[in-house]
Amino acid sequence: MVSLAIPSDIAFVILTVVTITAAIMALHAKELIYGAVSLAVSFIGIAGFFALLDAPYLAMLQIAIYVGAIVVLILFTIMLVRRDQAPEIDEQTNSESPVGLWLAGLLALAISGVVALAGASLPTGEPPANLQVSDLGPVLTSQYPVPLIVLALLLSASLLGALVLAKVER
Amino acid sequence: MVVFPPTTPAELVALVIRIITSHTFITVVVFPGFIHLTVVVIFLTWYERKLLARIQLRIGPLYAGGPGGLFQPLADGVKLIFKEVMIPYKASKPLFLGIPVLLVFLSALPFAVIPFGQHWVIANIDVGLVFVFAMTSLFPSMILLFAWASNSKYPFLGGLRSLFQQVAYEIPMWISTLSIVLLAGSLNLVDIVRAQQKIWFIVPAFLSFVVFFISIMAELERLPFDLPEAEPELVAGWYTEASGAIFMLIFMGLYMKLYLMSSLVTVLFLGGWWGPTILPQPVWFILKSLIVATFIIIPRGVYPRIRVDMLIKIGWTRLLIIALANVFLTIILIGTGFMTAWGI
Repeated sequence: MVSLAIPSDIAFVILTVVTITAAIMALHAKELIYGAVSLAVSFIGIAGFFALLDAPYLAMLQIAIYVGAIVVLILFTIMLVRRDQAPEIDEQTNSESPVGLWLAGLLALAISGVVALAGASLPTGEPPANLQVSDLGPVLTSQYPVPLIVLALLLSASLLGALVLAKVER
Repeated sequence: MVVFPPTTPAELVALVIRIITSHTFITVVVFPGFIHLTVVVIFLTWYERKLLARIQLRIGPLYAGGPGGLFQPLADGVKLIFKEVMIPYKASKPLFLGIPVLLVFLSALPFAVIPFGQHWVIANIDVGLVFVFAMTSLFPSMILLFAWASNSKYPFLGGLRSLFQQVAYEIPMWISTLSIVLLAGSLNLVDIVRAQQKIWFIVPAFLSFVVFFISIMAELERLPFDLPEAEPELVAGWYTEASGAIFMLIFMGLYMKLYLMSSLVTVLFLGGWWGPTILPQPVWFILKSLIVATFIIIPRGVYPRIRVDMLIKIGWTRLLIIALANVFLTIILIGTGFMTAWGI
């Protein structure tokens, strides 16, 4: 069913393997730092998916924000917490338990079921013309002004919250 | 006649010649790709030593041959390659050996979108500016990881300092370029340069230029912001444990980043390739970039280092506010019609 003739298909397979392998390594790394590095690789893989889907702007922001900011935050936290203060990882958690596999299988089944049911109503034909970055601004400000304002309020609220928390600790 | 796949030796030769003379191959490998970058980086190391020596009334490199000891960097390079790479006790080997390579890679990658001339750009993509920032935003984590991998206290302190410095100054740097994007109406670096044909953006966006220049000084860890590698306190900062080829790679990465930031200033504020037509466009671009690099280097011979609290205060309470105010100023000027968007 899946033919690997098109270069983007090959890129998709490679990206999928890299992203999922890195995600699994992030969960299983003994040393937290290696976990954070694997997480960064996984994020870069996701940026690759965005680039494949003709969304270069999203891909760049994914790298800048997730790899450039969030992974840095995680690394910073790991390094500031001294090892003797770090909580003991409970070896009794059932990392070998098959529940996760069952859940993943269930999820895959559900998704494929939904896709199969909706098969007739899925959009077909040519994808819309390549969206420019400069088209995003007018769409956001003219078509979706309310969500934009709500998002801005949410961000300023979280900023104020951070300020209040920092003030209390002093 | 070019045939693919080639069957006879003559066809193979024709194919190879076709590939080597293609525009893509030349832009990637010769100019503005690998060979040009390597030559400029080697030149910059010599140039900085010579310039600082002249500022401090010394002579600088002299004996290695060429005019003014120009071959000194080559001699240094040969020396560093043949030196033993010392890996500290209990260091994280994959990170310690891998990150210097990644540093060079990351500082060379953004040159793919920097236009050295109207046709001298490897990848003319719509999100060029965001691409450059996405790549440079990976530097702090690389530096912190290398510092951690060294398993030594001085690199670790330097790495943490480098991290909070670069994170603090990244934000004013991004915001100060917003007014340029507003003026040019594009994130594409080629379009940004094209919009400056009549007037360079340093004139209408002078405040942005000041904020951007100070921010890149901090991003590059140049004096007066070189706390991460403060010699009297931290030996050599986050690359104290680097030796031999590892040190050479880090050095190359840092100088390539210096060249990257000076060419970014040229693209955003100094009109990129535009100049009188007596010289070809790439020559103007390289000339302007080297002048910017000179202004980044000079403070190293002139100014003392600032304190940590001053650094953080300047970054978060001065530059950020100036950058934000400047964005609003630009929006008001464009809205009231003093400046027109999409080129002046």
